[in-house]
Amino acid sequence: MAENLTNKSEAQIVIFTLNQQQYGVDIAKVYEIIRMTDITKIPNTPYFVEGVINLRGKIIPVIDLRKRLGMPEVERDKATRIIVVDVDGITVGMIVDSVMEVFRLNDVEIESTPSIINDIDSAFIQGIAIKDERMIILLDLNRVLKGEEKEALANL
Amino acid sequence: MVFSDAEMAVFLDELEEKIQILTDNLLLLEQSGEDDPKVLQEIFRAAHTIKGSSAVMGFTKMSSLTHEIENIFDKMRNNELKPTSSLINVLFEALDALKILRDEIVAENAEKYDTTEIIAKLKEAVAGKDVSVPAPKTTQSATEEFTAEEIEKIREFDLKGYQLYEIKVYLDPATVMKSVRAFIVLQQLRELGTVIKTVPAEELLVKSEEFSDFTVYLASGEDVDRLQNILLTISEVERVEINPKQVEDNLEIKKEQPGEEEVKATEVEGEKTASPEKTLTDFKAKTPAAASGEEKKVTQTVRVDVQKLDTLMNLVGELVIDRTRLLSVIDKLYNINRENNELVETLAEVSSHIGQITTDLQDVIMKARMLPIAQVFNRFPRMVRDLAQKLNKEVEFIVEGKETELDRNVIEVIGDPLIHLIRNALDHGIEPPEEREKLGKPRAGRLRLAAAYLENNIVITVEDDGRGIDPNAVRRKAVEKGIISEREAEMLSDKEAIKLIFRSGLSTAQKVNDVSGRGVGMDIVKSQIEQINGEVQVESQVGKGTIFTIRLPLTLAIIRALLVEHQGQIYAFPLNFVQETLIAGKEELRKVQDYDVMLLRGKVLPLISLSNLFNLPEEQEQKEWYFVVILGTGNHRLGVIVDNLLGEQEIVIKSLGEYLGQVKGLSGATILGDGRIGLIIDARGILQENEIGELNVAV
Repeated sequence: MAENLTNKSEAQIVIFTLNQQQYGVDIAKVYEIIRMTDITKIPNTPYFVEGVINLRGKIIPVIDLRKRLGMPEVERDKATRIIVVDVDGITVGMIVDSVMEVFRLNDVEIESTPSIINDIDSAFIQGIAIKDERMIILLDLNRVLKGEEKEALANL
Repeated sequence: MVFSDAEMAVFLDELEEKIQILTDNLLLLEQSGEDDPKVLQEIFRAAHTIKGSSAVMGFTKMSSLTHEIENIFDKMRNNELKPTSSLINVLFEALDALKILRDEIVAENAEKYDTTEIIAKLKEAVAGKDVSVPAPKTTQSATEEFTAEEIEKIREFDLKGYQLYEIKVYLDPATVMKSVRAFIVLQQLRELGTVIKTVPAEELLVKSEEFSDFTVYLASGEDVDRLQNILLTISEVERVEINPKQVEDNLEIKKEQPGEEEVKATEVEGEKTASPEKTLTDFKAKTPAAASGEEKKVTQTVRVDVQKLDTLMNLVGELVIDRTRLLSVIDKLYNINRENNELVETLAEVSSHIGQITTDLQDVIMKARMLPIAQVFNRFPRMVRDLAQKLNKEVEFIVEGKETELDRNVIEVIGDPLIHLIRNALDHGIEPPEEREKLGKPRAGRLRLAAAYLENNIVITVEDDGRGIDPNAVRRKAVEKGIISEREAEMLSDKEAIKLIFRSGLSTAQKVNDVSGRGVGMDIVKSQIEQINGEVQVESQVGKGTIFTIRLPLTLAIIRALLVEHQGQIYAFPLNFVQETLIAGKEELRKVQDYDVMLLRGKVLPLISLSNLFNLPEEQEQKEWYFVVILGTGNHRLGVIVDNLLGEQEIVIKSLGEYLGQVKGLSGATILGDGRIGLIIDARGILQENEIGELNVAV
């Protein structure tokens, strides 16, 4: 996956923050970025599932990405955003601290060994992009949304 | 030759229809015991069509099998064979073989089934009685037969004012590439009208050289002269004969005077002369069905992908939501702007009109998704016949309300439970003929299957006039199987006892046979019906018979629901599970064996709060009184405590999305008028989950 990103000369990523760290996801998988909105809580779901929102008539589940990645919770503020992503037809909203920018990956170094990261489980990391001394963790959305947790969810 | 999926689908559709015609008419034939020419004609034609189309598609086994079937009916038509019961049985066997072949074609596009045995049987059947009557093969009339679709097409064009022509094209016998010539002729004709069919079939025409003349049936707005002139400009076309054909709406007349319809080329359109040698037997075939008033009325249809209908339904769902939103906005506007109401009123008017249109649209699309229940019912006459024969019983099987339409999702599920009920009725309900005679009942049992609309539901009844269900036998059995205790059995009324048949592990049949198994039936019937939001009830009288009543919703996409509020969120209970709502004072709530309960009209009602159900934080404050929503199916009830009742509303069911999948306790969500999301409660699941055994409490 990481190699795929580097080979695509025009690949773009959306950069957002979580716990003062910058993260990126492939823009092709981002459906929409919206402000924080009312979330309807759903019982009997894993702790990181916040509930569902009404996105123009569509019901979309929302997860708290901090909880999903095992980070401490914070108060939500004006900067809080929901990034709605679509991975293989599964649409999910992810709550993030803030969204910063979109940038191109072509002139960026990608390191695929995320040994230096201990903030989150390395299983969720696809690679690390370094540009002008900024370090951006590229998230593996497939893992974030599916993984074993998804199965645990199905078994609930 | 490779056929497209679309062609294959047409072939299979037609095959399905014809097999049904064969089955229906074979049953008719057996019942009447007479070789009614109408029925024979119908069967013959169906067999003939299958033979033709399967040959074209390259399914040789099917083609040769139907050829033999056709032979038998040909003999019957000519009075050379009588429909004896052994002959009918062989024919039914042949039909089964045909179905096996069909299934194989559907599954793997190949014919594997060995048809030699059944073909031999058919041949024997033909030969067996054949010897005495030499078959003076009457010269087959030159007119080709039309399939039902073709006839429909012809009528369609007739209605539009097009004329049907029979065009015989004679090519120069020396023509080298006849198929190419034929192709050019057809191309030309297609520019002038619509080719209904060709003889020989077009598929053969364009790849064979073994002909020098062929016939084209063309629906066209052009006149004879013009057609003739154009065709004669094509080189190597030697001669053309064009005959306008007349289609009459009144088929009765045609049946009696089949010779009248032919119109010679030379005559003015519309006038007729009798020409007995060339008749329109082709159209006559339609007569039996039309005359007997069966469902074959000519309708114009378009095949639509089910997914498209689903999408449409979703879109209408959005509209329904917005309609509700619009209404609440207008309400608010009224409140803000009390003085200058003119604009608001116009808006209200427009919105009410949009509301009306949305409702109509919703209706139409819902109807477009519906199919007649005949789809399911049609397979039963044959099943009943076979079963009755196997069980040595005589049955008069009555089917009513075949045309009743149901959502296709419901149709898909309802077949199995009905099979169970019908089998049970035949096996356990209806007595053997001798026993019935002794009881003073007619020898043949009466089994009635009926569907009808009732309010916003469809009601299907399965009714027999057999033994009925003995409540004592059910009690005994239930105690024996440990389903209830002896004391409980005594306390049950007869009606309640009969309902025990829906519990798993109970079958009152003494013998286990391959007709109605080991008592895994009725509970499955019940759960299958509940799966599609339906319910089933039973009434029975010993010696008189049993009636099963199944109530089903018209559609599954939109339901009426009771909305409640609980801890700031909105929940929807499907109304068909809500028995009543009430307010209970805190002193009415009691605890029995760790369960919250209350007494309702002398009976114990188990209670659970929505907070407990969904593991929400328990509210601390003690209230003076509580709202209780009583859910129930049949006997089983559960009171759910909620914070507030909001009212009834029509809601569109939406899924919670693939990511969450099935969430325990919920069956989906809906978007409310103000844009908020309401969670739809899985009432059936909750009832099952919280089913507590009979509580023994002193009242």
